[in-house]
Amino acid sequence: MIGSAQSSLAPLAQPGIVAVAVAYFVVVAVIATWAARRTRTVRDFFVAGSGVGLFALAIAKMAATLSGFSFVGGPGLVYTIGLAGVFIILPGALTNALSAWVLAKRMRLLGEVRGLLTVPAAIGARYRSRGAQGLAALALLVAVVGYMATNLLALGIVIDAIFATGLGAGIWIGTMIILAYSVAGGILAGIHTDVFQGAVMACASVLVFGFALGAGGGMAHISRTIMAADTAFLSPWGSAGPMTALSFFFVFSVGSLGQPHVISKFYMLREPRQLKWYVLIMSVALVLTQLLYFSIGITTRALVASGSLAPLAKADQATPTFLLHYTPPLVAGLVFSGVVAAIMATVNSFMNVGAAAITHDLPVAFGRRLGDELRWGRAATVLLALIAAVAAQASGALVAFLGIFGWGLFASTISPALAIGLNWEGATRAGAIASIGTGLGITLIGETLGYFKLYSLPAGVSVTGLSLVASLLVFFGASWLTRARAQDAIDPDIRLVMEA
Amino acid sequence: MKRVVLALIVGFVLLVGAGYAAAFSPRGAPPWAPWCLALGSMGLLMSLMALGAIRHGTLPPVLTWTFAGIFVICGTAFGLALALPDDGGAGAPLVAGLPLRAATVILVVGVVPILVLPFAYALTFDASTLSDEDLRRLRDACAALREHHADSR
Repeated sequence: MIGSAQSSLAPLAQPGIVAVAVAYFVVVAVIATWAARRTRTVRDFFVAGSGVGLFALAIAKMAATLSGFSFVGGPGLVYTIGLAGVFIILPGALTNALSAWVLAKRMRLLGEVRGLLTVPAAIGARYRSRGAQGLAALALLVAVVGYMATNLLALGIVIDAIFATGLGAGIWIGTMIILAYSVAGGILAGIHTDVFQGAVMACASVLVFGFALGAGGGMAHISRTIMAADTAFLSPWGSAGPMTALSFFFVFSVGSLGQPHVISKFYMLREPRQLKWYVLIMSVALVLTQLLYFSIGITTRALVASGSLAPLAKADQATPTFLLHYTPPLVAGLVFSGVVAAIMATVNSFMNVGAAAITHDLPVAFGRRLGDELRWGRAATVLLALIAAVAAQASGALVAFLGIFGWGLFASTISPALAIGLNWEGATRAGAIASIGTGLGITLIGETLGYFKLYSLPAGVSVTGLSLVASLLVFFGASWLTRARAQDAIDPDIRLVMEA
Repeated sequence: MKRVVLALIVGFVLLVGAGYAAAFSPRGAPPWAPWCLALGSMGLLMSLMALGAIRHGTLPPVLTWTFAGIFVICGTAFGLALALPDDGGAGAPLVAGLPLRAATVILVVGVVPILVLPFAYALTFDASTLSDEDLRRLRDACAALREHHADSR
């Protein structure tokens, strides 16, 4: 999500910014049209024909990982709570290596051996269980709609700020643009546009980092200015305290193993041995793109502390305010194109995994297969986008509530069953189903109680954190209790992949 | 080796869970609760990497030392940030432009793994993750399984 879903951005309708944004949309349209013509099969639509090279895979994964939150909501969070907000991106130094060792090779080989298209299908294949596949698909669908709604709202806000369209129209314009290339070209078009979008995001981030350090007079001057006004802000835990900061670290590191829009891209790699340099390329790309997240929040806080800038009415104004005051219009335009790029790449990936869950995983769970999966995939993409766009038009609080489900549901329902299950022969079907059910139940109940203010957790404790711990423990506990059946429940080809 | 790593994973999950559980105390989270989250999270991450890197029941020594080393280094960084006193006001010493404790976390936890793990993964890839021979063997075995499956029909 972009931050508080009720936020709005400062008007950005300046000729330079509009020109860059229009140029960005034209390039996306050209790339998408070219890629859409190459989409002929259901494998092209859902896994890009398993023909993606390493560099494109890494950039596309990076683009899908980062949403508008990284460019607007994240800097706003840092502006508000200091370095505690950085603990959301701090695990980025570890999570690429984590997913490489735990998932990359096995997911890629599973895709090849079984022709898999989706993350729930991997769970179904691992446990020889249509129930586990269906339950994972259900959890994924609930999360996808909420996540898409928050991102479409964010996209509407940015389009409204740049083109003065009004929020409602901005949401529909953004939805239609993403829908156009997602329906025509599926993930194949998504991957090719992601490479361009990822490059825009990285360039924008590096440029802004330089401008931010310059505007603040260097990192040391920025720190001294802030410390003179607020010593807690630059403590390692910011003003939120160590429990909150470390809870962010736990949730956003371990939870990264369950993000289906990111990990499903391992199916798309052309050649499994290309993974050798995946961690390095992905880590460099992610670090470059996250420089903006770190620098804008801190620099804006220093500029406010020194009196150079008036205090912000809303934290989400940190990025637009800084850009409008301290960068040339072309750079501001590039950054806002980066925001749009981040949102579009994420939504496209969600459309893809959601449509696959509807047209592939849920029918399989009920023992059926759809005839023309490509056509149904396109129809499901439209359906999901329309539901999410309608939800995005609802009140901001409701959209924010829907979005909160996203990361937590993915993390707690998919991480244990998939990431540990693919590496441990002792994991059982009962363990997987119990773990997915636990994650789904705790997240839905916990977040709903919180939304209606019926219960609030202690400071520093999150529903996602609790849900992730519980689903991991249930996974191990249920697997141990049913361990007698573990070894017989793995198909020979799946065992070969697990042992490869 | 896999049993040991799995036991570590369960242990570190319980450690994180203990940190969360302690926060429900009526008097608020005790001082040791953040330590549980810090060490539990880092330990869990490195144990999961080790689980993924185990092949044929063994973990190459170079990776054992890599994972253990990153755990010790990053765990120490978190520990220092938790244990050291506040940095003080505007006159406090800075490291790389940041107060000491913040620099310890950002530069160690946020940078050191990037300098080590991508190269550890790449340099052990052929021998410990997936060689051409491994891939050929897997493809041959799967093809044989498919043939056997087709024949049995």
